[in-house]
Amino acid sequence: MAFGFRLARPLSLNNRVMLFVALAISLSLVVIGHLVQKSVEQHFAEQDADELVVISRAVAEALKKTTRSGRSADETLPHAVSGHHGVYYQVWDESGALVYGPDEVVFPPRARFNAPVDAIRAENLVSWHIDDKSYRGAMTQVQIDGRNYLITAAINMDFHMRFLEHFSRNLWLIMALAGGLTILAAWYGVHQGHAPLRALSESIRSVQADQLDMRLNEKAVPMELQPLVASFNQMISRLDDSFTRLSHFSADIAHELRTPLTNLATQTQVGLGQARTLEEYRELLYSNLEEQERLTKMVNDMLWLAQRENGLLKPNWELLDLRQEVEATFEFFEALAEDKKITLAVGGDRVNVMADRSMLRRVISNLLSNALRYTPENETINVTVEGVGNQAQITIENPGQGIPEDHLPKLFDRFYRVDPSRQRQSEGAGLGLAIVKSIIEAHDGNVEVSSEMGTTRFVISLPTHDKKAG
Amino acid sequence: MRLLVVEDEVKTGDYLQQGLSEAGFMVTLARNGLDGHHLAMTETFDLLILDVMLPDVGGWRIVQSIRESGCQAPVLFLTARDSVDDRVKGLELGADDYLVKPFAFAELLARVRTLLRRSTAPVLADQITVADLILDLPKHRALRGGRKINLSHKEFCLLELLARRQGEVLPRSLIASQVWDMNFDSDTNVIDVAIRRLRSKIDEGFEPKLIHTVRGMGYKLDVEDE
Repeated sequence: MAFGFRLARPLSLNNRVMLFVALAISLSLVVIGHLVQKSVEQHFAEQDADELVVISRAVAEALKKTTRSGRSADETLPHAVSGHHGVYYQVWDESGALVYGPDEVVFPPRARFNAPVDAIRAENLVSWHIDDKSYRGAMTQVQIDGRNYLITAAINMDFHMRFLEHFSRNLWLIMALAGGLTILAAWYGVHQGHAPLRALSESIRSVQADQLDMRLNEKAVPMELQPLVASFNQMISRLDDSFTRLSHFSADIAHELRTPLTNLATQTQVGLGQARTLEEYRELLYSNLEEQERLTKMVNDMLWLAQRENGLLKPNWELLDLRQEVEATFEFFEALAEDKKITLAVGGDRVNVMADRSMLRRVISNLLSNALRYTPENETINVTVEGVGNQAQITIENPGQGIPEDHLPKLFDRFYRVDPSRQRQSEGAGLGLAIVKSIIEAHDGNVEVSSEMGTTRFVISLPTHDKKAG
Repeated sequence: MRLLVVEDEVKTGDYLQQGLSEAGFMVTLARNGLDGHHLAMTETFDLLILDVMLPDVGGWRIVQSIRESGCQAPVLFLTARDSVDDRVKGLELGADDYLVKPFAFAELLARVRTLLRRSTAPVLADQITVADLILDLPKHRALRGGRKINLSHKEFCLLELLARRQGEVLPRSLIASQVWDMNFDSDTNVIDVAIRRLRSKIDEGFEPKLIHTVRGMGYKLDVEDE
C-alpha cells in the first residue's frame, strides 16, 4: 500500500473524460461566437458601404447640378442627401481646395483616405474616432464637365457600435451559459455512465472468502465491462480451486498424521499397560519404528515438495538419454516385476534431454511403482520414449482396472487417492504423483494422465535440447 | 575409533552416544558448541558429527577452525535444514557428508563407517571371502561351497556391497543408492524383493545363512547367526 502513495495516481476516469469534453465544448463555442460576431460586423460594414455609395452618388448628382446651374455649392450641397441621419460629406476640387464641408469637425485629415476608390465596398472603408464618436467613410472621385472632384462621405457608427457591443455581450453570456450547461450535462452523463462500474465494485466487495463459489453475472454489465467481469470470475474460480485444495490438503495432512500417531500412542500405551516379555517389547519397538519410518518419509516428501515449490531445489542439469534412464529404472524394478509376474517393456527412440538425473529417475520410478501396483499378473507395462517435434515424450501404459474419469484431474494432488478407503499398507503416502508433477514442472514439462478401456496412460512431455542424437 | 558428537538436543545426543557406543565406537559427547569447539581443537578424533544449528558456536564455525588448524578428520553434519545453499556451504567449509533430520540411525551408522573407511587406505582386493562364499570381483562371479552361483549383474553388485561391508547393517536407501543409483526414498519394497531373491540363491541349501534382515534398519551380510 505504501506504493500507492509513492506513485502518482492516474487521473480519475471522470476527470479524464470531463477535461476532454470541457475543452472540446469551450473551443467550439469560442469558435462559433467569433464567427457570429465577425459575420454581424461584416453585415454592418456592408450596410454602411451601401449607404455610403448612395450618399456619394447623391452628392455627385448634386454637385453636377450645382456646376451646371452655376449656383453656389454651399447653397445646394447641404440638401443633397435627404432622409439620412448622421450622414456627412465633403467635396474637394482638383486643386485640393475644399468646395464643401460640414460645420462640425467630423472628418480626419484628408491624408487618411490615401487615394479615391473606384467602388465603395465593405473592405475599403476607413474608420476613425473624433470627439468620442465613431465614423466610417470612403473617398470617391467624380468628373463633372472635365473637372475632377473628390467626394468624401462618412456616417456615424455609434448606433451600430452600441448595438454590436450589446450583441456581443449577450452572445458571450449565452455561450458561457450554454457551455456551462453542456459541461454539467456531460458530467452527469459520464457519472451515470460509470454507474455500472460502481455497481460492479459493490458486488465485488461483497465477495467473501467463504463464498468463493459466487460468480458475477456477465450478462448484467455493459459490453465494455464484460471482459473485466470474465477475468474476475476466472480469478475467483482459480482462488476457489486453490482454497479448496488447500483446505483439503490441511485436512489430509491431519488425517495422514493422525493415523500413525494414533497407532504409536495406542500400541505404546497398551504395551506399557502390563508387564510383557522381552520379545513382546521388541515387537512393540519394531512396530513403532515402522510407523515412525512412515511418518519420516511423509515429512521428508512434504518438505521436498515445499522446497521444490519455493524454488529451493534447482535441477542439476545434465544431458541424459531418456531411454537409458528408463532402462536403469527398469533394472531397479526388475526383481519386483518378476516377483509380480509383470513384464516391463521399453520401446521407441533414443531422445536426449537436459534434466536432473536423480529427479528424472524419481519420476519414472514413482510412475512405475504406481503402475506395478495396479497391473494384474501376466500383463505388461509398456514404456515408450519418443521425440515429438521439440518435445520428448515418455509414455507409461499399464493395463488394469483403469481410473474413473472424475478422479483424473485430481490425481496429481497431494494425498489424493482414487480409493477413498485409503489402503495405507499397500500404497505410499499419496505424494508420489504430486512429486512427479512438481519435478516435471521444474523441467518446464508437462505430465498428463488418461484412462480408457482399462488402460491407464501417463504421458510426460519434456522440452528436448539436443535432437541430433534423436 | 574415537568420535566426537556435538549435539545440543538432549535426547538426540544421548541416543547418538548410546547407539554409536554400542556399534563399537568411543564416543565423546559435547552438548554445546563451545565445549565441542574446545574438544575438537584439543583432542584427536577419527570423525566428528556436528549439529549445524547450535545456540552458541555453530557447526560451521567448528569445522572451519579445525580445518584451519590442519585437522583432516572427516566431518559429518546433522541438520534440520535441507536446502541446497546449506549443503553447498557445509561442503565448501570442509564437511565430508551431510545428513538431514529426521534420519534413520542405520543411515547415520552406514555413513559414519563409509567416512571412516574413506580416511583409511582402501583395500583393493580381487576377491572377497565370507565363510564359504567367494566373490571373484574382476570376473563378476560368485561361488558358494565351491559351486558357481548364477547372479544377474545387479544381484552381483548387491552381494558385493553387502560383502564389502560385512557385518554392517545397510539401510534400504543406501542399498538403492549404491546399487541402482536411485538417490531418493522409494515407497516400494523393491529392495526387500531383491534381497529375498538374492538370499534364495546364496543361502538356500547352504549353512550358515549369510544374509540377515535387521528389522526396522536394513540388511547385513555376516557369518555369525543371531
